[in-house]
Amino acid sequence: MTGLVKAEVRKLFTTRLWWIMLLVMLVLIGVNLTFITAFAGVTNEASGGAAIPGRETAEWVQTAWSAGAGGSIFVMILGVVMITSEYRYQTVTGTFLTTPRRGRVIGAKLITGALAGLLFALVALVLVAAVVIPATLLSGGELSLSESRIPQVSLGILVSTSLYGLFGIGLGALVRNQIAGIVGAVVWAYVIESIFTAIPVLHPVGKWLPGGAAQALMSIDVDTGLGRPEWLPAWGGALVLIAYGLLFAVVASATTVRRDIT
Amino acid sequence: MTAIEIRDLAKSFGSVKAVDGVSFTVEAGSVTGYLGPNGAGKTTTLRCLLGLVTPDSGEALVDGRRYVTLPQPVTEVGAVLEATSFHPGRTALDHLRILCAAAGLPDERAGESLAMVGLADVGDKRVGGFSLGMRQRLALSSALLGRPKIFILDEPANGLDPAGIEWLRGFLRHLAHDQGAAVLVSSHVLAEVEQTVDNVVIIARGRLVRQGSLAELTTNGDSAVRVRASDTATLGPALEAAGAKVERVEDGLLRVRGLDASAVGQIALDQRVVLTEVTQERSDLQKVFLELTGER
Ligand SMILES: Nc1ncnc2c1ncn2[C@@H]1O[C@H](COP(=O)(O)OP(=O)(O)OP(=O)(O)O)[C@@H](O)[C@H]1O
Ligand SMILES: [Mg+2]
Repeated sequence: MTGLVKAEVRKLFTTRLWWIMLLVMLVLIGVNLTFITAFAGVTNEASGGAAIPGRETAEWVQTAWSAGAGGSIFVMILGVVMITSEYRYQTVTGTFLTTPRRGRVIGAKLITGALAGLLFALVALVLVAAVVIPATLLSGGELSLSESRIPQVSLGILVSTSLYGLFGIGLGALVRNQIAGIVGAVVWAYVIESIFTAIPVLHPVGKWLPGGAAQALMSIDVDTGLGRPEWLPAWGGALVLIAYGLLFAVVASATTVRRDIT
Repeated sequence: MTAIEIRDLAKSFGSVKAVDGVSFTVEAGSVTGYLGPNGAGKTTTLRCLLGLVTPDSGEALVDGRRYVTLPQPVTEVGAVLEATSFHPGRTALDHLRILCAAAGLPDERAGESLAMVGLADVGDKRVGGFSLGMRQRLALSSALLGRPKIFILDEPANGLDPAGIEWLRGFLRHLAHDQGAAVLVSSHVLAEVEQTVDNVVIIARGRLVRQGSLAELTTNGDSAVRVRASDTATLGPALEAAGAKVERVEDGLLRVRGLDASAVGQIALDQRVVLTEVTQERSDLQKVFLELTGER
């Protein structure tokens, strides 16, 4: 199995997509952080309160730190491509000739997808730390790990970003078409999930989606002006995420193991 | 043990019977040509044999076992399939190293295999810039990684230039005759394999139409000798007297059936007739092929 994981890691790192995704992720998180930092503590005329807490508060640290979760979509796309490019370029023939037990190939891909997610999450956290820690200290805030709950938010980011790698692989195995898979991932993450996790009325559904479960795991408890979200408890979020991971793993193997490769 | 054994294999795609009850075997130390027109079911047969397609019925075995049950398949079977392709953004060496990792082979095999197909210089070039022939060679080198003893090649000569085809012929003969490998090679172009194969299996519309050695297939019944001579007026009756059927093709040229070239030569010597040409006519393989596959 280590050989197979090694092969999958090589597949990932011998083409250019991974660093393009990493770069785009860093840019996006960077923009997001700039926004959160610039508008921190700015009062909103209509509601009379600040939409984003001030930079010196633990709440701001928490909000800004959670921007590190922005890598999930890129890891999901990477997962989609890990499967669909095998079909697109027909390298799947060589892959299954070398390893006819297809379940093992899927297993290796899932492990590699999760590892890639972990790597992306770590890079994202480094960027977040490099911006948030100086910003709050310069604004006279204190960096209290317990109040800003940095460890928990970081853990949530690591776990959820990894699992999005599995989601991508499951989705890729299901649709097999690269464009359809990537569009599906983007629509899922940017349209469906953001609607269901951003609008509080939809939270009863949204909290059961991977995005909502990821929020629950991070236990982000900040009023964004739309009302306080009602996520599952952190352990509930973790369980939901793991269930999704298993579901997508099963989907990926079930759709791949018996299919004719012609 | 029989290297490759196909028994009553059948596979349909919807209503299309791609392979319909095919059986044949390939022994170690020989090259078998698997021939048939487009759509005959060659690729489908080979994909069943390699566990990529699940047959509806029948069996396809390598070394007496199903491919998918082999613990280390690339060390036993080297395969090149028609639709094998590469990620254009990956280098040739990277492509092979990935397969090495998956198969548990040392990375050095990647470079060694590339050198064997004459691609040593372009190992670190992206495959996207490769010509069709270079890709075909790269595919072949991936089949060599595990030093297997059975080769299953689907139209490996596709895209090769004449020099490449010549090289491939020599290479396949070397694998089979010097190294004792069993080679099964498909083609729809007869001329391509005629000089390479020992045995031929012909399939058309999913059904086996003929199998046997190349010699059996080509010396198919009535072979004739073409004879050009100084004095056909003397030679003709003498040959007929010896029991041959003689046909006058043109002035000075006879087509003789029922005697072989050496017998013709002996009679000409006895009659003191000068022979200017004696050719054993082989029944044209292309003709046999077209007849058998009903593609006239
Ligand atoms: N995935 C598939 N779905 C539907 N039909 C298929 C599929 N693969 C093959 N076929 C059909 O099965 C038949 C045999 O195809 P196959 O590719 O095995 O032929 P072939 O002998 O390899 O031909 P060629 O010389 O053109 O490569 C054809 O009629 C083809 O249309
Ligand atoms: Mg074919």
